Amino acid sequence: MKHSLSAYHHMKRRTFLKGMGAAAVSAAAPLPAFAAKEQLAYMCWEGYDAQAILEPFSAKHDVAFSVDIITDSPGGFAKLAAGGYRDCDIVSSDLPWIQRMGPAGFARYLDPAEFAEQYAGFYPEFQAPFDPLLFDGKITGLPSRWGWVGPSVNLDHDKVENWRSLDPVFDPAYRDKICLLDWGEWPILPLVLHAGINPWDELDEDALAEIRKVIAAALKNTRAIVGDMAIAQKGLLDGSLYGLIGGGTYTTLNLRVRGHLNVVSVIPEERDGLKQGIIWMEATGLVDNGRNPEVAKEFLKYIVAPETARKLAITAATSNLVPTKATEDLFTAEERVALQLDYVPTARAGSNFLRPIPNIDDFLAIWSEELSAR
Amino acid sequence: MRVLDRSWQDRGVLLNSLPLLTLLTLFFIGPILLTLLLTFQEMRSYQLQWVWSLRVWSEVFSKYSYWVVIGRTVSMAFLSTFLCILIAYPAAYALATRLKNYASHIQILIIFSFLTDAVLKTFGWVLVLDRNGIGNWLLQHLGLGDEALNFLFTPRATLLGVVYNLSVYPLFTIYLSLKRIDRDLILAAYDAGASKWQTFREVTLPLSRPGLYAGAVLVFVLTLGTFLESKVLGGGKSPLAPELIRQTFETRVNWPLGAALTVVLVAIATIVLAVAVRLVQRTRQEQAAKGAEA
Repeated sequence: MKHSLSAYHHMKRRTFLKGMGAAAVSAAAPLPAFAAKEQLAYMCWEGYDAQAILEPFSAKHDVAFSVDIITDSPGGFAKLAAGGYRDCDIVSSDLPWIQRMGPAGFARYLDPAEFAEQYAGFYPEFQAPFDPLLFDGKITGLPSRWGWVGPSVNLDHDKVENWRSLDPVFDPAYRDKICLLDWGEWPILPLVLHAGINPWDELDEDALAEIRKVIAAALKNTRAIVGDMAIAQKGLLDGSLYGLIGGGTYTTLNLRVRGHLNVVSVIPEERDGLKQGIIWMEATGLVDNGRNPEVAKEFLKYIVAPETARKLAITAATSNLVPTKATEDLFTAEERVALQLDYVPTARAGSNFLRPIPNIDDFLAIWSEELSAR
Repeated sequence: MRVLDRSWQDRGVLLNSLPLLTLLTLFFIGPILLTLLLTFQEMRSYQLQWVWSLRVWSEVFSKYSYWVVIGRTVSMAFLSTFLCILIAYPAAYALATRLKNYASHIQILIIFSFLTDAVLKTFGWVLVLDRNGIGNWLLQHLGLGDEALNFLFTPRATLLGVVYNLSVYPLFTIYLSLKRIDRDLILAAYDAGASKWQTFREVTLPLSRPGLYAGAVLVFVLTLGTFLESKVLGGGKSPLAPELIRQTFETRVNWPLGAALTVVLVAIATIVLAVAVRLVQRTRQEQAAKGAEA
């Protein structure tokens, strides 16, 4: 789950880190790509490409990876849809975009029997049949990282009690203290839920008009709409921002892992019969590119194995939760605290599982238009 | 000197210009045409559909918000061009005439600023302008209050970032123009009784215009393509056109709309530059006419 920047994405610290990461993987590859028995083209988010993750698999299976780091999920999907799928074997991206490989016609569906062991190792809510990753009853991928989206708060400057709802986002007392993460639908969904509208329903014009009003009001009260996570995190840490909206654990867990335990991501209370939190997931899926190497399936099993998932949970760039239950035992006591594992049941109980949103194009268009018209 | 009057029908001219024409066609005209073609297509399920339609153009011309952003971007380009020239001209003048002893040191500094990435420089300003940054720390110690500098995440901060990152371009072009002015012309003006101001106005400024115009064009065009400053320093609240285009391509995956907005921006830049070139030509003609009369 992440921003589209990145952006700036792109020309920023994140891109630099990703570039360095990719360079490190390339430099550390034990054999040049042409000398390996097999090659896997892997499109993924940062973290998945870590040397500690790819190298053991590469050595064991004599596989050379060609990594394509994505900086935004829609952009990565668009690249695949434009024909890039022919040169790609595996994709790790935000869950809806893995599921969309099904209707787009390039998902390599998984046989549930073949992955029974992996499903059995997941937390119950991720086990088969895992509805958010199904298309036409067929499995498009396995969940590989997750977290929740709720307000991120610095306890040194504000109280959790103030965030039982998203009211502070619209409260003049918080004017100039709120930051919306400019990460596609991520800041939009909490606002839509706060407005009492279920974003997973097919919405009519009236509902979209209401969403437009809510987004406009939120933009009016905000200090910044930030795409770069480092800027948002800095503001949260130094107290110039009281609440980050749209980032959730993706923005806070790596701060907590680095010792900033005063920063938390919380889930607002249920409102108008709607749970206010969102469980986001990244998933890893196989691409039907005509080659369909068997080793890609092995990699899929490897990426959700407890030891790999442990490495994937805490990476240099971000820290997240993983769906593999046995990984919990591999975390140290400090890591368990940092990852807010004690809050997981509350977060699960108060959150909606992310799945494709029927009106996503309308949401993004409204956001873009309201932001532009300011 | 004999002036050769050669026509475009001349095979020699055509052959000589062939490499340039090929390059321009392949890397400039071709991509622009492809972008234009893209504007008549549609996206369905995040996939491009080759259906010829005017839907995207009707959206571009019917949505007020797009024009607000484009208007904001053009205004920002004009304002930053004006400020960059305002800052760069005196600096370049001082460098060329008053700081000759330090010229090589200053030139090295200018080259360093060219080599330093804009991302680094822009993020550096965050540390200065932040509420808990160096700027406020300094003002606080001067007794001006805890948050005297509430500047970050405002359009003014965007302007500051743009001017800071781009003023080095006109500084360089104006400096080069000033260096090329024949010192004897200035001395001749003094000998003829002209004051310093008159000499500057009637000799130095006209002769340095090529550098001034080149710098202005560079700043204007580069500002039209800037989005880092508005995101990082402006807090993303007043996005510029490139950010809107990025959002349309990447986040909304609406390539035809992104292409249409790009075409609009390129068209505006072209029109403004064409008008500027026409104005420059007219000024030159008027000056030549005055010279002939004198």
